[in-house]
Amino acid sequence: MKKKMMILGCMILMLFSAPIAWTEEGVTDTEIHIGQWGPQTGPAAAWGSVARGTGDYFKWINATGGIHGRKIVYHMFDDGYNPAKTKAGVKELQEGTGIFAWASGVGTSPGLAVKDYLMERKVPWVGPAAGSLHWVSPPEKHLFAVYPLYYNEARALVRYAVEDMGKKRVAVAYLNDEYGKNGLRGAIEELEAHGMEVVAQVPVEQTDSDVKPHVMQLRKSDADMVLLWTTVSHAVRIVGTAKAMNFTPQFMSTSTCSDFPLMNHISKGLWEGVICATFGELPDSDHPGMQQYKKEVFDQFASKDERWGMFYAAGIIFIEPMIEALKNAGPDLTREKFVTEMEKLTGFKGVGPEVNFKPFDPNDMYSRQGTRQTFLVQCLADGKAEKLTDWITLD
Amino acid sequence: MVDFIQMVVSGVAVGSSYALMGLAMVIIYKTSEVPNFAQGEMALVTSFVTMMLLTTFGYPVWLAFCLAFVFAAALGAFLEFAVLRRAKNPNILGTIVITIGLEMVLLGLVSWKFGAEQKTMPFPIGPYDSFIIGDIFIAKLEALTLVSALVLMALLFFFFRYSRLGLAMKATQQNPTAAKIVGIRTNRIMMMTWGISSVVGATAGLLISPVIMHPFMMWDPMLKGFAAAVMGGMTSLPGAVVAAYMLGIIENLFGGYVSIEFKSVVAFAIIVLVLCFKPSGLFARHYVKKV
Repeated sequence: MKKKMMILGCMILMLFSAPIAWTEEGVTDTEIHIGQWGPQTGPAAAWGSVARGTGDYFKWINATGGIHGRKIVYHMFDDGYNPAKTKAGVKELQEGTGIFAWASGVGTSPGLAVKDYLMERKVPWVGPAAGSLHWVSPPEKHLFAVYPLYYNEARALVRYAVEDMGKKRVAVAYLNDEYGKNGLRGAIEELEAHGMEVVAQVPVEQTDSDVKPHVMQLRKSDADMVLLWTTVSHAVRIVGTAKAMNFTPQFMSTSTCSDFPLMNHISKGLWEGVICATFGELPDSDHPGMQQYKKEVFDQFASKDERWGMFYAAGIIFIEPMIEALKNAGPDLTREKFVTEMEKLTGFKGVGPEVNFKPFDPNDMYSRQGTRQTFLVQCLADGKAEKLTDWITLD
Repeated sequence: MVDFIQMVVSGVAVGSSYALMGLAMVIIYKTSEVPNFAQGEMALVTSFVTMMLLTTFGYPVWLAFCLAFVFAAALGAFLEFAVLRRAKNPNILGTIVITIGLEMVLLGLVSWKFGAEQKTMPFPIGPYDSFIIGDIFIAKLEALTLVSALVLMALLFFFFRYSRLGLAMKATQQNPTAAKIVGIRTNRIMMMTWGISSVVGATAGLLISPVIMHPFMMWDPMLKGFAAAVMGGMTSLPGAVVAAYMLGIIENLFGGYVSIEFKSVVAFAIIVLVLCFKPSGLFARHYVKKV
C-alpha cells in the first residue's frame, strides 16, 4: 500500500513539475511546424521549386533568429501533383506530427483535395500556389490567397491587348481543367465588357502531345491575339507550331508561363515577344527585396542544382505575408491570433503584389483574396523581361 | 479541302513517332510475346543520355547519336539479361508487371538524375522548321521521322524475312524448345531482340527530344505506339506502321471535324473496336501453336 502511494505521489509530482507544453497544435516553446506539398516528381515537377524556395526562405528566417525565438520546422512532401497523394500526405502530417499552418502548395487539383479537410479542422493555409477562384469563392476563414486570380490575370491581358494594342480578334487555347477554365472565364468576361467575343475557344488535354489540330483551329479563327492558358509544354508547342504554319498572332499567357529564361530556352527562342502576366517582381529585377533574397536566401541556402527562377522566387513571394503575420502575432502564438494578424495585413508590400486582407466576410471574396494586382511583362530575345505595365489593380 | 489535306499530312507526320514505338513493341512481342511497357522509358533514358553527351560533354551530333544507338542496344540487352531472364517461368501477366516495374524504375532514374524541368536537345534541324507547299505545311523534323520510320520498317521487314538471325528470332517465338534443339541460342536471341527493339524506340525518342524533353515525354507516343501495334496485330511490322499512320490521321480528322477534346482518346476507342471485331489485329497472320 505504502509502495503504491509512493508511485502515485511520484506520478502526480511528475505531472505538475513537467514544463508547461504549448497547447496550440504545431507550436512548442522552440518550434513552429509548417507544412507544404509540392511536386518534386511527375508531370508538374518543374513547379517543385516553389516548395524548395519556401524551404530555403524558412532556413534563412531560422538563421536570422527565427520568430520570437522559435525556429520554423518545415515539413515538405512530394505529392507528384497527384491529389490522392496530397490528401494522404496532409492527413499523415496533420494527424501524426501536428502542423500549425500550411504554406503555399502547388496546384488547383491537389489543393482542392485537401481544402475541406484543412478548413474543417480550422488549420490556417496561406498562399496556395495557384490563382484559382476555388480558394475564395466562397471565402473560408482560415484560407488566405496571395496568388493573383487567373481570372484577373486573363482580364488584365485581354484588356491590354484590346485597349493598348488594338487587338480585335482574341482566341483562347486553354487546358481543359479548372486552371484553364479560370483563364477562359476571365477572357470572356473582359471581352464582353468591351462588346467583343472570343473568336475561338480551343481546349487542350493534359495528354495531348500533338497540337497541330489546335493550332489549325486557332489559325482558322483568324485571331490577332491568342491567349494561352495551358501547361508550359503545350504553350511552347503551340507557339512553335504556329510559327511553322506561318500563323503569327500576338501570344499572351499566364504567370505560370512567365519564367522567361526557361520558356525561351525550351522554345529555342520562339518565346520572344510573348506577353505574360506575373505575380511578383522578376528574379533578375533590381528590386532591393529581390536582390536581398537572391543574395541571402538563394546564394546561401539553395542546393547547387537549383536555379534562381520565377517559381523558386514564388515560394518566397507567397509566404512573405505569412511570416509577417507570425511575427505580428507575438510570442504567445495561437491559430486564432495568427488569423487575426493575417486579417490585419493591409497595404503589405513585399516582393509580390500589394496584399490586403479584411476581417472574414462570407459574402466578400476579397476578405480572403489578398491581391487584385498583377503586371505584364514581355519576353525579350535573351529570355530577359521587359516590364510593359506597372502593377495593375483590377476591380 | 486544304484543311482536310493538312489534317491528313499532320496525321501522317505525328503517326511516324507512333510507328517507331509500335515497331519497337512488335519486335519484342514477335520474339518473346512480351508486351514491353518499359519501351517508352528505355527510349527516354537513351534520349537523356544523348542530351548529356551533347550538352555536358560537347560531343558532335553524329558521334552522340552513334553512341546513343550503342547505348540503347546495350540497355535493351542488359534489361533482358538482368531482369526478364531472371523471372522464373513468368506468364504474360507476370511479364507485363515486370515491364511496368522497369518503366517506373527508369522513369525515376531519369527524374532523379536529370531533374523534371523541361529541356530541349540541340539538333541540326529546328523542331519548328517547316516546308510550306501551297497552304500545306510539314515540319522538317517530322519529315525526317517519317523517313526514319519507313526505312526502319523496310530494314526490319527484310531482316526478319531473309536474314538468318531474323529467322532465328521468329523460330524462337514460335517454338523455343524446337529452336534450341536445332542449335539456336535462344537466350542470346532474346537479348539481341531487346537490343534491336531498344534502338528502334530510341530513334523515336531522339526525334522527339529536339521539341521538348521531360521525364513524361514518351508516355503519349508509347501508348499510341502500343495502340498501333495492337491494331496492326502485334506481330506484323508493316501492320504496326500502317496502323500508326491510320491512328495519326484518324486523330487529326477527329480533332478537326468532330471534337478536339476527345482527340486523344479516339486511339483507345479504336483499340476496343479492333479487339471486339478482329482480335488478331488488322494485319496479323496468326500463327497457331499446337498444344
